[in-house]
Order: sequence, then C-alpha cells, then structure tokens
Amino acid sequence: MRVGIMSFAHLHAEGYVYNLRAIPGVEIIGLADDNPVRAAYFSEHFGLRRFESYEALLAEKPDAVIVCSENARHLPLVKLAAAAGAHVLCEKPLATTVADAQAIIDVCQAAGVQLMTAFPMRFSPPVMEVKKLVDSGQLGPVYGCNSTNQGSLPRAHQAAGMPDLGRDWFVNKALAGGGAVADHVVHLADLLRWMLQSEVVEVFAETNQVFYGDEVEVETGGLVMLTFANGTFASIDCSWSKPPYYPTWGGLKMELVGENGLAIVDAFKQTITLYNEAEGRPRWLPWGSDANQGMVAAFLDAVRENRTPAITGFDGYQAVAIVAAAYQSAATGKPVAL
Amino acid sequence: MRVGIVGAGFMAQTHAAAWAKTPAEIAGIHSIDRESAKRLAGAYDTRTFDSVAALLRDVDVLDICAPTHLHHEMTLQAAATGKDIVCEKPLGRTLDQAREMIAACDKAGVKLLVGHVVRFFPQYALAKAAVDRGDVGKVGVVRLTRCSFQPRGTGGWFMDSEKSGGMMLDLMIHDFDYARWVAGEVESVFTRQVRSRHPDAPGDYALAILRHTNGAISNVEGGWAYPPPLFRTALEIAGDKGLIEHPASSSDPLEVHVQASGSGERPSVAAPSSPTTESPYDLEIRHFYDVLTGAVTTPRVTAADGLMALKIAFAAIESARTGKRVSLKEFA
Repeated sequence: MRVGIMSFAHLHAEGYVYNLRAIPGVEIIGLADDNPVRAAYFSEHFGLRRFESYEALLAEKPDAVIVCSENARHLPLVKLAAAAGAHVLCEKPLATTVADAQAIIDVCQAAGVQLMTAFPMRFSPPVMEVKKLVDSGQLGPVYGCNSTNQGSLPRAHQAAGMPDLGRDWFVNKALAGGGAVADHVVHLADLLRWMLQSEVVEVFAETNQVFYGDEVEVETGGLVMLTFANGTFASIDCSWSKPPYYPTWGGLKMELVGENGLAIVDAFKQTITLYNEAEGRPRWLPWGSDANQGMVAAFLDAVRENRTPAITGFDGYQAVAIVAAAYQSAATGKPVAL
Repeated sequence: MRVGIVGAGFMAQTHAAAWAKTPAEIAGIHSIDRESAKRLAGAYDTRTFDSVAALLRDVDVLDICAPTHLHHEMTLQAAATGKDIVCEKPLGRTLDQAREMIAACDKAGVKLLVGHVVRFFPQYALAKAAVDRGDVGKVGVVRLTRCSFQPRGTGGWFMDSEKSGGMMLDLMIHDFDYARWVAGEVESVFTRQVRSRHPDAPGDYALAILRHTNGAISNVEGGWAYPPPLFRTALEIAGDKGLIEHPASSSDPLEVHVQASGSGERPSVAAPSSPTTESPYDLEIRHFYDVLTGAVTTPRVTAADGLMALKIAFAAIESARTGKRVSLKEFA
C-alpha cells in the first residue's frame, strides 16, 4: 500500500507519518506542500521524498493520500487526488462551507475513490468504551450530554527551534472557516451523532472573543447546544480557554446523563503529571493509546478492501453543517433548524 | 437573639446545627411534621410551636426552612410582626411573591436574608475572590455543574412543581446566582430540559447557556437524574489572564454510575461534603447572625440577589418551554 501526504499545514500530518510507519506493508511515497519551508523541513525531518507539486506526487499513483492542508484548501486537493484515483483521508473539518463539503463528497463519488473524514476520537479507547456502554442500554435512554473540547489558542502549533511553518492559519477566518467553533465543535458533534445514532435537528450557539480578543479576528469562546432527532440535547464548550501555561493543550470530555445513570469519559485523562524545574510549571504527559493509529489503520483497511470507511464523507458533511448552523445562531441569537 | 425555625427537615436540621454554634438561642421549632419537630427541638433543648404565628410571638428572627411555596406567606407574617427573616432559597415560588416579600420587609424595616449557601462554600467563595482580585483577568467562559438524585422532602414536595418550582428553580438557581456573582448581570438564557420519560424513572436534567451583559458566557448543568447517592458539583472560570478549575471527577478516564436495581436506603437530600472546620452552612448562618446583630452591614447575598436569581431561573424555565433564547428584560 503506497500512501502520499498532501500538505503539512495541519500539525496532525506529523502524527500520521508515525501512524503510517507503524503499519506493516505501508510505504509513504513522499510529501508535497505548497509551502516550501514546510516541505523542506518535514522532508528532512522525516526523511521523506519531497515532490515539487501535488500533481507530481499524484503522478506516482499512490493508492491513497492524507490531506492535511488548511481547512479551506481541502476541496482543491481532494479534487486532484480523486482525479488521480487516490483514496482520500481528509483532515477535519471536511470543509469550511457546506457547499465545499458536498463538492468533496461528489468528486470522490464520481471518481470512485473512498473518502474518510479524520475523526480520530471514534478510535479513542476510553470513548469506544462509553460507546459500548450506550449501545448496551445500561445507561438507558440518554437524556443529555455536557461536553467540552477546549483547547489553547492554536496559533502556531510549532515547537521552539522550528522555522516558520505557516501554521498561524487556525486563527484566520478565511482559511480555517472560523475560530473555536470551526475548530472544536466537529469532534463532539460527530461522537454524539455516532453514539446516539441520531441526527442533529437544531443548533444554538453563543460565542465571544474574551480570550485573545485583541490578537485574533475569530471567536475564541463558544458554547453550543445541539438537539437531536431522538430528543437528546448536548452542550459543547469549544472554547480556546486553556491558557498557554496549562498543563496540557486541552482535552475532550463527555458527561452523558441517561435514565439509569451517568457515564463520564475524559479522553485525554490518561496522563502522568510532571513537575520540571526548567519548565517551572506542571505538565500532563499522556500515556493513553493513540486514537489516530486506529483511525489510519481503519482507513487503510477500507482502501485495501475497497469498501466505505467507518467514518464517511457524509459524517464530515454533517459536522460542517452543524458548524455553519452554529455560526448562524450566534449571529442571530436564535436556534437554527437543520 | 432568639431564632425560630420553621421546618424540621434536612435544611432545618442543618440550620439548627449552625445556629447552635452562634450566640443566638434557638427559641422554638414549628413544623407540620410534629414528630420531626419534636425530635429537632429535643436535640437543641428547645420547644415546638403549633403555628408560625405562635412561634413569631416568641422570637426575634424567623428562619424559614419550609417548602418554597410557603416562603411568601411566612415572610409576610414575620414582616407584619416586625421580625427579621432568614429564608431558604429560592426566595419565592414566583417573581411576584418575591417582589412582594421584598416590599413588605422594606416597609416593615426588617431584614430579609436569602440562603444562597453556595456563596459560602469555601471553594466557590475563594474562586469569586480570585476573580475579583483579577487572577483570571476578564471572565470569558464559566462552567457550573450541580447534579444529584431526586430529593425527597416531606410529602414529596420537591417533586411537586407547584410547591418547589421544579429542578431549575430549586437546584440550578444556586449556579444561576453564582454565575451572576462571578460574571455579572445576565442578559439572556437558552435552555434544554428533559423530564422523566416514564413515571418510575428518575430524571429532570437541564443544560443552560447564559449570556452576560459584559460578553461572558456560562454553561450551567443541573439535574435530579443521577442514581443515589451520587452528587457532583463542578466549577470552572476561564478568563483572558487565567483559569480556575474545580472539577468534580476522579482521575480515571472513565467513570460509570449506573442505577442499582432494588437500591435500598438513600439520603433524602444531596448535600456536598468536604471536611472543613466550619461547614458552609455554619459560615452562612454565622454571617447572617452578624448581619442581624449589625456587626456586618452588607450581606454577602441580598434579597435583591435572590430576586435576580429567580429571574434567571424563570427565564431558563421559559426558554426550556418555548425553545427560544429568553431575554432577562422580559422579567424586568
């Protein structure tokens, strides 16, 4: 199985290199990136062949590609990949507009390539355990869910000593599709759809710009309420409210209240706490399983067997539609029907 | 100072224990549950009274720990006899009742203190103090959780919405008050709520999103939906210069609390416990004692605060009913 990586604009691309290399029989044919600094840095860093263009990479006929460009640039890259017959794992959110999300689905369908949206949290072992619990009926019908996917400001996403990797686009409205809402609503929206086996029928959102208000142009705080067709409701805190001196980047947590009880999952809680003199503040070092590994493996399995992946383009589309509705609600002060 | 307590349930017992630690004298107890009243009076070496009117003749302060729908009538009675009042939250069963209570006490020149005890929980008070001294900068997002099992009051009054006003008025009001205390006046509320889907199931669960006039937003979770004896509270205040966390959960990545079949005895009311020299209720009653004697001039929580908390709660209830965001202006 030959896989190419299209753009390292999203930091998850780095993790995918390790994930791909951990799977026997997978060869990373190389990377392409329209940002030459990024292309040079990561080709050197990972010892990967660097293609001068996306077209050149696709000319090598990879079986599959992973698209990790800026959110707004997913569509053009997926178009190229689909035209070259490469199956696509696309970083989340699938697109910045509902129209683009639909176009991504359409081009993949027309070209006969598989499309998977990168929602790794479905492969997080603690999250999978809660999904099993909900499916077993032990919790009873789920009344509601109080959930958080908070983070720190994703302005740079690069460590000290790296060159400027052009990763400040997460706070650029045009490239990211928005701020905290676009960044952090999709994971929980997808997990809830998956766990409840029900679609969102209404979205309400309140947003603000208290954090980093004078530094970025997008919303940095947000609370979103989803109502599902089965009557369950869920609030999602998508805020970039974890300060840079917090012990970790953020987290994802769900508290599901059902008729028979309560289930809480804190997907990134498997950590040890490090108190380090040089850093001067505590840090949480994770030891939980890498959810991305399961997701990348599932994608490649689907490609190998030429079947629809566990997470589809439609799943990605639904999450994009929820984000769009959240922005509409925040602007109007009214709940928006889907 | 002679204090008369109305009620003999969980809150009356808690207040009696707290009054006993002040120089005040518990001068009497009145409750329609005569057995419980006798037991409570016995524990504090005091007597029982057959009516609120009789109790009022013998006290300086009336402490109302009766079901919510009785607060109004008892307060008016006490004010009419010139007695100061300590009243459990929520201040009244309706906004009109609460307004009338405040007006009657103002007119009679008596004090009306409302038991929003969360302001006296050390962790909540400390977080408020930290916010006030600028530790987190400008408040952006507040998260508050308060969920327990179904409480059982005398005659099941908590579950009788006519009497208690329901979960949002009885329980979530704590955090509506706290959200307003730390993040300022509330502009609007959006709520989703579910009541038990069949009669045997426990359940009253709600999530509310508040917008404050200064731009801050709050997520408030409340429920009488947990299996007993589970009770959880959580607090998080994120600002542009800092973050305060007081989570409810353990350090496990996964926590499951499922209803045991045929569960036996359970507490009547959930109350958080974290061992401290003085309980939050002790601190609250001691503070009220100091306000009543004049040693402290500004109460930590005023009747006006109690009225504002009620307004937020009624806006939340209205939002759950209509499905729309409700502006507090509608409750002016």
